[in-house]
Amino acid sequence: MAEYTLDCLGEACPVPLMKTEKKMAELEIGDVLVVSIDHSCAMKNIPDWARKVGHNVEVEEVDDGEWEIVIEKLK
Amino acid sequence: MSEITRSSSPARKPRKKKKNQIPFGLLVLIGIVVVGILLGQKSGSLAMFWVFGCCFGYILQRSRFCFTASLRDPWISGSTAITKAVLIAFAITTIGFTAIKYGTFINSGYIPGQGYIQPVSLLTVIGGLMFGIGMVIAGGCASGTLMRVGEGFTMQMLSLVFFIAGSLWGAHDMGWWTLNFAATAPRIFLPDVFGWIGALVIQLAIIGLLYIAADKFEKKKLGITDEE
Repeated sequence: MAEYTLDCLGEACPVPLMKTEKKMAELEIGDVLVVSIDHSCAMKNIPDWARKVGHNVEVEEVDDGEWEIVIEKLK
Repeated sequence: MSEITRSSSPARKPRKKKKNQIPFGLLVLIGIVVVGILLGQKSGSLAMFWVFGCCFGYILQRSRFCFTASLRDPWISGSTAITKAVLIAFAITTIGFTAIKYGTFINSGYIPGQGYIQPVSLLTVIGGLMFGIGMVIAGGCASGTLMRVGEGFTMQMLSLVFFIAGSLWGAHDMGWWTLNFAATAPRIFLPDVFGWIGALVIQLAIIGLLYIAADKFEKKKLGITDEE
């Protein structure tokens, strides 16, 4: 049940999504990944992707225009 | 969807209290109206462009609609949600444009906007390829870049500068390209070939097939058997 963080601040789409995909592949089931982003389009496509693949996702706006996506790996 | 428990989070930043943005929003809204009225005194169509531009920007930002993502995400993540959204938008505009063009043609005998029909040539392919590479690197197409500059994403302010530079360069060399590649290429207006109804049906059918293909592609790529 480890928690990992991924800093994607300042990265434009599609970089955050690709980094998240790679990182998620390394995680064990039950681990949680927190992705920090500030590109609005990543706020849409990362949760979309993660939900479709079947993980638990939550998005939090931590500051104006800055978000944290919390993904729990389920499979 | 169950809540994710986050008890073990040592690296949490203390949450900053966010500023209330509603006063700023109201100020901007008043500003938009004032500018609209000032433009309206100059010319009615300027005010209309202003209102449409503001609405378009707002919808684009709120909906996270992105033409880049519509063509890029299928290859990166296999998600075609935005691809499908763009196809639906194309279908709606097809109907709308047909209505405008046909309506004007019936009433006044001339078809508006025919000057925008570009010749079918190699230029379209080369330009599309260059634009595609550029928009993926820059993280947004024209509208997306503008929208994110408005959001304050610094990297794309740089994109905007080079986007303008590239457009000017392209416009400068366009004469040579047209002369060498597109001078003899045909300009095809579908209703001339298939008739008004035929063109509408064919275009909507192609969009429909693309939609089905996008849907199947996503399910196959992500290995989904049952859509949520």
